[in-house]
Amino acid sequence: MSVLRRETRHMLFTVAPGALFILVFLVLPSVYLVGMAFLSSGPYGLPTLPLSLQSFRELAGFGFLGWSPGNLYTLIRSVWQTLLATALVILLAYPAAYYISTRPARWRPLMLLAIVVPSWTNQVIRSVGWMNIFAPGTPVSDLAALLGLTAPQMGLFPSQFAVIVGLVYNFLPFMVLPLYAAFERLDTEQVEAARDLFASPVAVFRHAVFPQTLPGLMAGIVLVAIPAFGMYVVTELLGGGKATMIGNLVARQFAQASNWPLGAAGAMIMIAVTLIGLKVLRDLGRRLSGDREVVL
Amino acid sequence: MSGHALARTASSIRVEAVTKSFERGVPALDAVTLDVEAGEFFTLLGPSGCGKTTLLRVLAGLEEPDTGRVEIGGRSMAGVPPHRRSVNTVFQSYALFPHRNVRQNIGFGLEMQGVPGAEIAERSQAIAGLTGIGTLLERDVAQLSGGQRQRVALARALVNEPDVLLLDEPLSALDAGLRAHLQLELKRLQRRLGMTFVFVTHDQEEAMVMSDRIAVLNAGRIAQVDTPQGVYEAPADLFVARFMGHENFVPIRQRDATGVDTAIGRLDGDFAAGSHLLLRPEAIRLDSDARQVPNRFMARVSERLYRGGTTEYRLDCGDIQLMASCANRGQPGHEVGETVEVGVSDRGTATLSD
Amino acid sequence: MSAGRLENGLRAFWIVLLVFLYAPLAVVVFFSFNSINSSARFAGFSLQWYEQLFRNEAIVAALTNTVVLAMVSTIIAVIIGGLLGYGFYRYRLGRLSWLVWLIYLPVIMPDIVFGIAEMTFFVAINERLGILSPGLGTMVIAHVTFQVPFVALLVNARLLSLDPQLFEACHDLYAGPWQRARFFLLPVLRPAILSSFLLALTLSIDDFVISFFTAGPQSTTLPIYIWSAIKKGVTPEVNAIATLMIGSVFLVAFFSLLVQHGPSGGRPSKGGRRA
Repeated sequence: MSVLRRETRHMLFTVAPGALFILVFLVLPSVYLVGMAFLSSGPYGLPTLPLSLQSFRELAGFGFLGWSPGNLYTLIRSVWQTLLATALVILLAYPAAYYISTRPARWRPLMLLAIVVPSWTNQVIRSVGWMNIFAPGTPVSDLAALLGLTAPQMGLFPSQFAVIVGLVYNFLPFMVLPLYAAFERLDTEQVEAARDLFASPVAVFRHAVFPQTLPGLMAGIVLVAIPAFGMYVVTELLGGGKATMIGNLVARQFAQASNWPLGAAGAMIMIAVTLIGLKVLRDLGRRLSGDREVVL
Repeated sequence: MSGHALARTASSIRVEAVTKSFERGVPALDAVTLDVEAGEFFTLLGPSGCGKTTLLRVLAGLEEPDTGRVEIGGRSMAGVPPHRRSVNTVFQSYALFPHRNVRQNIGFGLEMQGVPGAEIAERSQAIAGLTGIGTLLERDVAQLSGGQRQRVALARALVNEPDVLLLDEPLSALDAGLRAHLQLELKRLQRRLGMTFVFVTHDQEEAMVMSDRIAVLNAGRIAQVDTPQGVYEAPADLFVARFMGHENFVPIRQRDATGVDTAIGRLDGDFAAGSHLLLRPEAIRLDSDARQVPNRFMARVSERLYRGGTTEYRLDCGDIQLMASCANRGQPGHEVGETVEVGVSDRGTATLSD
Repeated sequence: MSAGRLENGLRAFWIVLLVFLYAPLAVVVFFSFNSINSSARFAGFSLQWYEQLFRNEAIVAALTNTVVLAMVSTIIAVIIGGLLGYGFYRYRLGRLSWLVWLIYLPVIMPDIVFGIAEMTFFVAINERLGILSPGLGTMVIAHVTFQVPFVALLVNARLLSLDPQLFEACHDLYAGPWQRARFFLLPVLRPAILSSFLLALTLSIDDFVISFFTAGPQSTTLPIYIWSAIKKGVTPEVNAIATLMIGSVFLVAFFSLLVQHGPSGGRPSKGGRRA
């Protein structure tokens, strides 16, 4: 009996502070935000009774002037830019992770650190770096103009191109790390067996390497795509109006435009799309790996 | 210098009607009663899931029994946590502390008991010498081989001079040669220290080589407690017989004062009551040897396995298959397909029930 | 033959990748020493922007806020998160086992949603109770909230990677509860605690969005200062502040190298008493 009570006391001592913190400062605010989405917008855009679905209707594009597709475009663009950036990140991360895993063991921590360190600087600073590079008159911008990709005297930002570069730059490490972990555990005998059985390099990758690195790839996609979809800073600094994502739309409701319930509804859509994305990824992972769980 | 510090009154163990269940489901231990004498090498033998490890953990104090009592050295262990019991364990995984080197691993228990540093060093050195790792003291545990880890785990437990040492399949992770070597060494060490060892294994040969007595467990119950010879030659039931590696079981149809009627024919002799006759392979005689015993019949050789010192023959006797093991003493062997004369007597046999 | 070509190709790719990763940072550092206000042409070396920076009280205050926010939130998060990671490993939570899933909430929640949820919640509480007015306090709370899960996951993962019999071996070898914590748990978890400290610190340094939404007028941090400055166009002064932050990140990176290669694994400590 006293043993049990002591157990409970120890459990409370260890679990309670963290659990309370998360409950009070994360779960409660989330619940409040969800509630807010179903309120009406009052003076100064603050939430007020009565309950209504007005915010969701507005989000879908129904305003005073009839239906406009602006918000819908923003949502589609968010998904599209997320997918594009994630695909590019995968293309860069695969060879990088493989290369690191083939170096002598003493070099690997340093190489991984080299990949990770830029992501430790602040998001804003990373974007400032690209603003410097893409500004009008810089060598990179001049080169782009010379090739006829941009108008002369125009910088490369703000643009959708700059946003994609920024997204790839921000999230590359989150793909390299899990892929590297997968490559490090790679069973090379499977690769040799494939070679022994007359597999071409492409077939070796397809049948011996890819299935083994799939869990790392899936983890990487989760780590890259979720924050990319919710991106605010990069789109705000490097993108113009044509590259805005749903995160910017939501943020605007709490800053300039001031319509809190609308913003809360937008946030709910973001969470919903994120969860749907996870579900799709999970099914895809299961299909690719022959019914094994590889995501979450 | 070394040994004398370890000589110590070994302690007896008494386990009385101990029952233990996990979650819902069958009990892991079902009213187990057991006596281990002081200074004995006692083995708990059984297949995985039979409760042998649970019983060991109850002795260590890592599990509390649901009912029943445990006494060590005449003292009840009810409510005594592991760190207050003079019992130490050599774990199956060895459980060496990764953040400490060999010396620090060995000294851990003494350090926790507040033994002065100089004495820890001295006793660690002595026990390391005794277990053959005297030169490895400053090594990292990650650098050790399987056999060395096993020795460190043993030294780490022994250095505390416990009343009882518990060993949970400590040799199962090692390869065959090293394993045979360590079995002998462990046995010698136990005799030298006069300490009570309770040893858990699923390997019946290992149990027979090492133990003074063996308890065979089946589904949470004790099936038999006896000396290795007793368990092997007179198994209490079919389960124990099968587990000890026997395969020659002949159903008994009828028994009378002069013998038994069986599936392989009438056998004369003094047989106890039971449903099956157990014929030990080395007690089945062939050819000229067979003529020295009263019960003889013909059988066909269906398989022959040459094992160096012995040759094993698989024999078809009607519906029954028997395994015979013959010492190779230069006599001509038998080919597959040959018919041979087989003899059995009431010695080298036992009768069993389910 | 083709293996050698693949090797060369990969090496070239690696170098290009490093250029891609470090060019934006290098450009920021480079132009922070520019004598003119341009990020297209370097006119000469000058420290004038740094002088301006340290004369600007707002920037010095922002620097202080940044350091205080990062350190305080990280220390709190490591303690709370470490205990949580251990508690989840060690105890049966029974009917509370759903709590474990809460840990993943900040991982799947976009920053921006997290930020506005915190902000609207603090505003609501502040209106009714008068506490939690926006400032360093609310920022620390918000940072700790997103740091705690990562710390808990790291510590928990380390515990899960340990042989469970180690805990029993400790118990078996006469260690009482406090001795188990002091002589086993803390030393064994040391690498995980250190790396979770570094992770929490970098999460805090990297964050802009959550700070931006939970900050008050007096609690501007460097990233927030930079943000409002860029809205007026990138100036060399912004580059100078960014350079300072990049420098400090490289310092953290250097320390993390020391942690990885320095005395971590099975070094002999003072426990190794010799007669």
